[in-house]
Amino acid sequence: MADIELKNISKSFGRTQVIADVSLHVRSGEFVVFLGPSGCGKSTLLRMIAGLESVDEGEIWIGGRRVDGLPPGERRVAMVFQHYALYPHMTVRENMAFGLRNVGVAGDEIERRIADVARMLEIELLLERKPGQISGGQRQRVAIGRALVKEPLLFLFDEPLSNLDAALRARTRLEIAQLHQRAEATTIFVTHDQVEAMTLAHRIVIMNKQRIEQIGTPMEIYTRPATAFVAGFVGTPTMNFVPVEIDETASECAEAKLPDGSRVTTRIAKSSLPERAKLTFGIRAESVRVAGQQAGDTKGRALFVERLGDRTLVYVELAEGSTIVAEDAGMSRVAIGDVVGLEFDGGAAHLFDEERGYHAMPAVDD
Amino acid sequence: MSVAARSHGLSGNVLLPALMIALGILMLGPILWALGLSFKSNAELMVDTSSVFHSPYTLQNYADIMAGSSVIRWIMNSVIVSLGMMFGVLILSSLAGYGFARLEFPGRNIIFVLVLFGLAVPEQAVIIARYQIFSALDLHNTYAGLILPGLSAPFGVFLMTQYFRAIPKEIDEAAALDNASRFRIFWRVLLPMTLPAQATIGIFTFLHAWNDYWWPLISATNVQMYTLTVGVAATQINFAESTGLGFLMAQAIFASLPILVVYLFFQKYIIRAVSGAAA
Amino acid sequence: MATVAQAGPVVAAAPAVTRGKWRDAVFVAPYLFFYIALIVVPLVWGMWLSLHKADFFGDRTFVGIENFMRLFNDGFFLRTVWNTFYFLLLTVPALAVIGLALALALNRPTRTAAVLRGVFFSSSVLSVTIVTLLWRVIFIADGGFIATVLEAFGRPPVAFLSNEYLALPAIAIATIWWCIGLPMMLFLAALQQVPNSLYEAAALDNAGRWTTLRKVTFPSIRRTFALVIIIQIVLQFQLFGQAQLMTLGGPNNASRPVVLFIYEVGFNRWDIGYAAAASQILFSLILMAAMAQYFLSRRREDL
Repeated sequence: MADIELKNISKSFGRTQVIADVSLHVRSGEFVVFLGPSGCGKSTLLRMIAGLESVDEGEIWIGGRRVDGLPPGERRVAMVFQHYALYPHMTVRENMAFGLRNVGVAGDEIERRIADVARMLEIELLLERKPGQISGGQRQRVAIGRALVKEPLLFLFDEPLSNLDAALRARTRLEIAQLHQRAEATTIFVTHDQVEAMTLAHRIVIMNKQRIEQIGTPMEIYTRPATAFVAGFVGTPTMNFVPVEIDETASECAEAKLPDGSRVTTRIAKSSLPERAKLTFGIRAESVRVAGQQAGDTKGRALFVERLGDRTLVYVELAEGSTIVAEDAGMSRVAIGDVVGLEFDGGAAHLFDEERGYHAMPAVDD
Repeated sequence: MSVAARSHGLSGNVLLPALMIALGILMLGPILWALGLSFKSNAELMVDTSSVFHSPYTLQNYADIMAGSSVIRWIMNSVIVSLGMMFGVLILSSLAGYGFARLEFPGRNIIFVLVLFGLAVPEQAVIIARYQIFSALDLHNTYAGLILPGLSAPFGVFLMTQYFRAIPKEIDEAAALDNASRFRIFWRVLLPMTLPAQATIGIFTFLHAWNDYWWPLISATNVQMYTLTVGVAATQINFAESTGLGFLMAQAIFASLPILVVYLFFQKYIIRAVSGAAA
Repeated sequence: MATVAQAGPVVAAAPAVTRGKWRDAVFVAPYLFFYIALIVVPLVWGMWLSLHKADFFGDRTFVGIENFMRLFNDGFFLRTVWNTFYFLLLTVPALAVIGLALALALNRPTRTAAVLRGVFFSSSVLSVTIVTLLWRVIFIADGGFIATVLEAFGRPPVAFLSNEYLALPAIAIATIWWCIGLPMMLFLAALQQVPNSLYEAAALDNAGRWTTLRKVTFPSIRRTFALVIIIQIVLQFQLFGQAQLMTLGGPNNASRPVVLFIYEVGFNRWDIGYAAAASQILFSLILMAAMAQYFLSRRREDL
């Protein structure tokens, strides 16, 4: 297995820049997820690592070898495409053998690898069929199998679960995780689905507008988002954002004044905040509890109520019009129109300016 | 009958089918007439052609064909030329189609548009010059002389390019990651996916070559090199005086057989090719 | 920006995409060779030739546009142009209308319809020489099918092919019989692409059969109609074999089309400069007719 190193990668299509000065180091055996909205450049970055797109500036190193000048076949990477890209007129076995034959692997070695992988993925019975004769989920396994037999230094996945229905997606997610555990293969996985990213990744690379916003473990990303974008992209429902002013107080910790006048005491050091900046207050729904009318830091009227079974989400309109999503117990009795109190867990609050996020101190190790 | 079926065509219980069948028989009329004449002796027909409607009938005309006439030779020439042109066009247009669809080389788009313009050029605009070129190269009365002009037709290239373009690029990319060379991607991965287009081009080219008249007429002037189409024309020239109506019709029927047999076997593909290409 | 690595092999910085760019042209080169040699060169050479007085044996003198002037004043040639347009008028509308009618009648899933479709298309696979042979023995005054039938009714035979006014129509009939397959197939394909939901909506709106035909079917296949017309214009403009074999262009130049003129001038009289000029005129006529038809149908569509 191999280390991957990206150094100052940039790329443009004509005058449009699609990747802007990206650097990254992936450790051998790591499962890294490129996460981001459509158009952020994650697929392009993946394809550049594979050799399917050229690199305008920067270097790509795989396993201690510089590869950005090499054709895809010589980089020792394997890729699982979004639509699988299986060769339609070849049987599953021939699909898996094709790459190995092209590099002159011996016949019985090919057979051995195919047999092993087919057993691992439970596709032995499909070997003599053609891609058109098997289901979508089976095609996906074959695509993975085709990658596995090559025993590459690096596995690349380009949104492989997008074409599967929800149930199959969850199951396949689990299988990919198990596969990774067994094979201990360096893997880069591209997706726009944060659940996939959170559950599969050792580290997540969040991208937005052709740049990397944050690199970190799932919990780091979740609890200490580097920017407002990251905070809003990960977590369901989306984090609450309201513009605030920081009050002048004696304590070290910043006290945020919400638009409706209420105050929340955070655990963010005032000294870490920039001078005279416009700040946004961010807090997740699970850190805003519904309380009685007279209790809590502020109150408002319930606009919507979403009952999810294990919890209830209440959309509360504050006095001056902004909306906060709060969480209540699954059996909550709150109805639309009710006036409820909101209790903020100040320790879980974040502050964001245009550049970065500010979080509670000390950092929580997770 | 469903709403759609009723409105798609002109329906009418028994009347329309009966009318259509009658028209169908009418359509076959010329062939039936020729068939009838071919089974009568020349002598009888010379006296009175309405003798076609009653016996005696004879196979003598067909026997005469098998015995002496050059029809067999002409059929062989047509087979060689048609198959040769068909394979030649398939190979050239597959290679070119892949090149235009998938490979980037300088001027690719301009060159492709120029090739498309060739679709508008009729045979008459180039045939005189071609004749001179082939005269200079001494290629008249050869198989090459009959096959080569057909290889320049842009139709096959156009179709193959469209077809290759329609294949998702992911397949190429997967093959590139599988370490396949450009040619290997073409030969082992993409080409097998284009069989329907190959069938269409193959059929069209074969039919065109088989039925071509003007070029073989002027290029293959040696009786031994006639294609079937030219041969049938040659026997018509001295129509009335020559070998007799019965024999002539037997030749016409005999000459129709090969292509009609091909039509019978490949009717589905031919029709699909014609309607598909137009879509 | 690309720094040379301290460790590991140094690889050429040229991205894999541009490597071998010229080399990739090797796929299109074989075809291009034939295209240039057998279409581009002859086309240009033909244009050049039309400006000369020449024969096949090498004599060539530059005469500028004299050939074209001669052609414009050549009554014989002008008659052939007229013949060709007249022939178009006889065949193209008929092919379109009859083709459509056949398609409408045979657009059903029954076995009979399938067999009939096969029958009506079968004539298209025959060569022009076979077709002319078959139809000569129908039209010919001495022992032809029509003559035989007329005789049975005690009427005298009609000499179609040697009658000034009947020669071209006779050729037209034979041509329609020969070429009807393609228009029928194109219309069939178009009819099958009309969505069923349109017919169902019309039925719910209580539209009768004729109304449905006019208001639903015809508008949906208008594009195909225009396509059929263009294809047939281009095809029938190139009338050659039928005229050469059935009537020899006669009687009295009554049925000689432009292509036969080119053939005779070029390959019988060896006056190839003149023939080349005539073929340039033919080429232009075809292009103009096709474009005119194209723009006409475009305008009608925008209305």
